[in-house]
Amino acid sequence: MSNFSRTAQQWASFARSWFLIDARMQPPGKIASMCSVRLQGKHKPIYHAISDLGDHVVVINSRHIAFSGNKWEQKVYSSHTGYPGGFKQVTAAQLHQKDPKAIVKLAVYGMLPKNLHRRTMMQRLHIFPDDELPEDILANLTEELQQPREIPRKLNEYTQEEKDAFPRVWTPPEDYLLK
Amino acid sequence: MTSRGTPSRFLRSVLQNGLARYVCQLKRVSIIFSKTNQGSLGARDFVEEGVVDYAKKNPGTVVYVSPQTSRIPKIVAEYLNGNTKEEIITNKSSQQISELLTKLTNQSGQDIIRIRNPQHTDNPSIQGQWHPFTNRPPCIGLIRPQKRLNQDQP
Amino acid sequence: MGNQQINNRSRCARIWDRHESSMVFLTLPCWIRSRGPDRYWKVQELLKHARHFRGRKNRCYSLAVRAVRRAFVYATRGRTLKKRNMRKLWITRIAAASREHGMTYPALIHNLIKSSVQLNRKVISQLAITEPRTFLSLTKLARARQQEGLQAALGDGKEPPGVFSRIVVKQ
Repeated sequence: MSNFSRTAQQWASFARSWFLIDARMQPPGKIASMCSVRLQGKHKPIYHAISDLGDHVVVINSRHIAFSGNKWEQKVYSSHTGYPGGFKQVTAAQLHQKDPKAIVKLAVYGMLPKNLHRRTMMQRLHIFPDDELPEDILANLTEELQQPREIPRKLNEYTQEEKDAFPRVWTPPEDYLLK
Repeated sequence: MTSRGTPSRFLRSVLQNGLARYVCQLKRVSIIFSKTNQGSLGARDFVEEGVVDYAKKNPGTVVYVSPQTSRIPKIVAEYLNGNTKEEIITNKSSQQISELLTKLTNQSGQDIIRIRNPQHTDNPSIQGQWHPFTNRPPCIGLIRPQKRLNQDQP
Repeated sequence: MGNQQINNRSRCARIWDRHESSMVFLTLPCWIRSRGPDRYWKVQELLKHARHFRGRKNRCYSLAVRAVRRAFVYATRGRTLKKRNMRKLWITRIAAASREHGMTYPALIHNLIKSSVQLNRKVISQLAITEPRTFLSLTKLARARQQEGLQAALGDGKEPPGVFSRIVVKQ
């Protein structure tokens, strides 16, 4: 009786989902932690470290990530080619200029557990610098994840009424000279 | 004793034995004893007193009583799954042998080894096992990257 | 235990047969008298635990003795670690399941304890897998208890004299 529906049950439980994350104006670390949880399968109650339960994650707009503080200039990505004098150091801005997918990819790679499954999990991570996705990936998507950070509005997105109604700390006097 | 080095199995019964009907798994039991030896005293007592009652009580089991010269008295039990168990009954009283035989009768004949999980059920889930769509709203529609209105390239 | 000893002995006898098939044991006393030197049996007793090892460790005594000792040490340590690891796994699973319903793990467990639900982590994680609706009702219970606790903490909606809190102002 119980053997009757086991196969379908098994396929349903271990089905792979495809998640979509929009990285526009998001901190890469938060995007990466969301990705690493899903890639490992730690968001499922059937999680086990050796069960290979990881889902696919599609990150779009990785060109438009937002570092806070002075990380674009001061965060340094180091590597060594293996040859004498092959120690390379580039800042985040330079790396991003060269490859807009690299920062998100490195952040996720560092957050995954350091074992033999890491390369497999990374293969399930799909990063796109813009929001153009190929048809086969579009067809697979099952869920879109909420962005971890609310995108702040720019000044040109406010209407004139909102600008006028914005509370002021102090009202300058009539004869105040702006520098 | 390592867990990988010792044999182990999962908890199971023979063809769901005991569920609505019970088939005694003990197929054949032979009581081997000596007619003269001192160690077989209890076995001889048991043959005189209890063996007929036992055979009447368990019609599904074949009982052999075989006196043999200069043998260590023992009970050889054969089970339906082909396993054989030997129990030495030297210097055991009639009462002890009776208890031993009851124990052998009630056993399923499976190997007595480490059991990996003390619980087992054929139907682990009543409400249906978890799957990725259990707690997701049923009609989401197609997932597409949303175009924001004011997309200014930095 | 008697059974196991007999099983062990018969297994040894099988090994014995494989090694020296020319010898025949007609009766038990004969077998006891004719069995090999003590050292042979000592080696067999140890190799019994090493048969599944890789390489020469599974057949050479001097290599096996060290490996078996290591294996037993690991097994002893593993018996403690297993309990810890299982609990870790249950917690990971409960955390994953409760996040699906918008709760965090500490909030869920704390509020279940507060509502005197005496299920341990093993059972809760099993419920999350096999009976998802039961788990959903558990999270609902925990959330209701959480809201009650928040209301009780807020009191009648007025802060005590001399205290200005942001929560009260928001409401």
